[in-house]
Amino acid sequence: MQIMGQEQYIEFAIEEERYAIPIQDIFEIIKIQDITQIPNVTSYVEGVINLRGKIVPVISLRSFFGLREKENSKLTRIIVVHHQEDTVGVIVDCVNKVTTFTDIQPPPERIGGIEGSYFVGIGLTDNGIVGVLKLNEILLHD
Amino acid sequence: MLSEYKEVFLEELAEQLQVMDEVILQLEQEGESEQIVQNLFRAAHTLKGSSAAMGYEEMKHLTHEMEHLLDQVRSKTLRVTGPLIDLLFQSLDGLKELQKDIMRADDAITDISECIRKLQAFDKSSKEMKDVEVERMTNLEPELSLNTKLKMKEAEDQGLKVYWIRIQISPDCDIRGARFYVIHSNLCNLGEVLYSIPDIDKIEEQGSSSLEVQFLYAGEQSGEELQEMVAALTDVTNVKLESVTTETEGSVAEEIEMPEIHIERDHSHKEISKTPTIRVNVDRLDHLMNLVGELVIEHTRIDEVKRIQKRQYSDDSVEQLSQISDHLYRIISDLQDSVMKTRMLPIEQLFNRFPRMIRDLTRMLGKDIELAIGGKDTELDRTLIEEIADPLIHLIRNAVDHGIELPEQRELSGKVRKGTLQIRAAHEDNQVVIYVEDDGAGIDPEKMKNSAVSKGIVSPEEAELLSDKEAINLIFRPGFSTASVVSDVSGRGVGMDIVRSHIEKLNGLIDIETKLGQGTCFKIKLPLTLAIIIGLLVKLDDQTFIIPMSNIAEIVRTSYNDIARVRGQEVILLRNEIIPIVWLHDRFNLSRRKRKNGIVQLVIVGSAEKRLALAVDELIGNQEVVIKSLGSYVGKVDGIAGSTILGNGKIALILEVSGIINQG
Repeated sequence: MQIMGQEQYIEFAIEEERYAIPIQDIFEIIKIQDITQIPNVTSYVEGVINLRGKIVPVISLRSFFGLREKENSKLTRIIVVHHQEDTVGVIVDCVNKVTTFTDIQPPPERIGGIEGSYFVGIGLTDNGIVGVLKLNEILLHD
Repeated sequence: MLSEYKEVFLEELAEQLQVMDEVILQLEQEGESEQIVQNLFRAAHTLKGSSAAMGYEEMKHLTHEMEHLLDQVRSKTLRVTGPLIDLLFQSLDGLKELQKDIMRADDAITDISECIRKLQAFDKSSKEMKDVEVERMTNLEPELSLNTKLKMKEAEDQGLKVYWIRIQISPDCDIRGARFYVIHSNLCNLGEVLYSIPDIDKIEEQGSSSLEVQFLYAGEQSGEELQEMVAALTDVTNVKLESVTTETEGSVAEEIEMPEIHIERDHSHKEISKTPTIRVNVDRLDHLMNLVGELVIEHTRIDEVKRIQKRQYSDDSVEQLSQISDHLYRIISDLQDSVMKTRMLPIEQLFNRFPRMIRDLTRMLGKDIELAIGGKDTELDRTLIEEIADPLIHLIRNAVDHGIELPEQRELSGKVRKGTLQIRAAHEDNQVVIYVEDDGAGIDPEKMKNSAVSKGIVSPEEAELLSDKEAINLIFRPGFSTASVVSDVSGRGVGMDIVRSHIEKLNGLIDIETKLGQGTCFKIKLPLTLAIIIGLLVKLDDQTFIIPMSNIAEIVRTSYNDIARVRGQEVILLRNEIIPIVWLHDRFNLSRRKRKNGIVQLVIVGSAEKRLALAVDELIGNQEVVIKSLGSYVGKVDGIAGSTILGNGKIALILEVSGIINQG
């Protein structure tokens, strides 16, 4: 846990909740773009975007967590991550900052109605707690 | 490194096997000719060399035996007979099995011992005719280096005879190494030793254990003289001689030509092209194609900017932009054309497999069929050639199995005994069309109806309503097979519906024409390539979609009032054909736009028996589009083949027409 505490994370928010993913998983963070919808796919797959000539699917973490939809705002971002061979974009309400944790506690079974298995754990910072997400779990979810 | 060699080897292997296939068939059809036998011998010899170099022992062994037999055919000690041809085909099949083993990188799991036994048995029967004294030592001939072959050639040019001498040294001999030296130097006095096993320089390290030694010897003596002289040497118990020539060992000239053969892929073709060619990794070509695709997209963007600028301003810079855009367009199309051409192969590659297939099929089914192949030079993208192989083979099997009748039957119906199967390819517009046409019995619409009813594919009432054409097209329905007896030829669990969907996946169309008693013709239309297609841009709601042009039969404008309803399904009557209408909006959860003037644009798509009219809001126009996959995260989406990036940077989805048809 000591070593993990030294790692850097990107902290973002959905509603009032704060989440984080390891910085090395992140390819880039971009503003919200035109999303082309794909018919008949899982509801949390919002569609595809044109990332400098590359077709990249984007998912809504909000919708994945089963929260109600909300209009995109100026703060809405797409966090682009590499997932296996693919590049996938994850839409979040806003990106807060780069952060480190003094400690990461094992996850409880459920956090705010969300499966505990999507979490690496709960990260402790000076000003509160942050849910550290297991990105692979989420992206592999059917 | 090794895998790189392996790739080159596999390419050569495929090439040589293809040559063998053709040549053996030629041998069967045209009879024995020096040229044909020589070609076959050469192919076997080349394979023997390269498989030995790669360490594929089984293949080396098999090709060696083949080469050995062929050599006898060449030297006229063996005649070309039916059984010999069968045996050659069997050996070829054995080689193909070994090829599969190598491709799977398995250890050889194919057992070729039976094949080798047969080859050797054939050999023995012919061996009796040969001079007893000069006996072959087939398994012991080592591969010779180019240098040794050159020495052989030199000796031959001086009028010397070359022999392999195989000597057993007596087991009683204590100092065999020394004895080997003595024998060696004795032979050197008689003539010249070109090569020896073991190597004379290494004899001390090798120890004195080897009881058997071999020399490649050149001298003036006759076989008999030499035999006597060698047998007279001390400690020699057994001597075997075999005369060799550079011919049987593969000519020196051929060996030197080797690099050229690699460069000139076409050496197996009748006309050898003079321009040098190189082999390129397909991945690199794919990459090039992608880059060109990017250029095409960027150009459409520039073009878009140009149009906007032109509308707003009129000064020199806009005029220049316009010129640049036009010039770029020409360059990019040229580039695209050239890159595409590098990926194109003549369909010959595929067609050449058919004569052998037909031969085997006709033999198995007792039919008499002449195969006519046309348009071998027609070029199409290599991936397409690979993809179309299976459906085509299925169609051909069908034609031979169900289409063309048995000779007796044909005679009864007043036809010539020999049936004809025509396979042709041709370019039409910007597409490739392949025909598979037989002069067989044709398809009986009545029988089709009955069969479809009994299989529960259509109800008797529905069957009544079907036109002849519709009845024939029942063949493309899942679960349909016209064969009352499932033969092991076409009864492989795949029906024509699979063939059709396979072709549609390639953005192609298949159609069928048949006349009862006169024959059937299948017509397959394919785009030239898979990477870039011409698409029709359409609007649904405010999203742009692309329909591949090759899937489109026609476009009609109709008034909303002309749309009829049959049992709740909207249809349109087009030249007496009822075509169901699909509102893509409903499929894709988009809202239908309000129509101002009651006009509906319908794009008629589909192939074979199923035609659909896709209702769209707006037609935008044709455009070349680069197909980009949606990636494995999104995976396969019903009705969507992929996506592309438009001139304005937006993404448009490309419709998969077969998917849409099959849903309906």
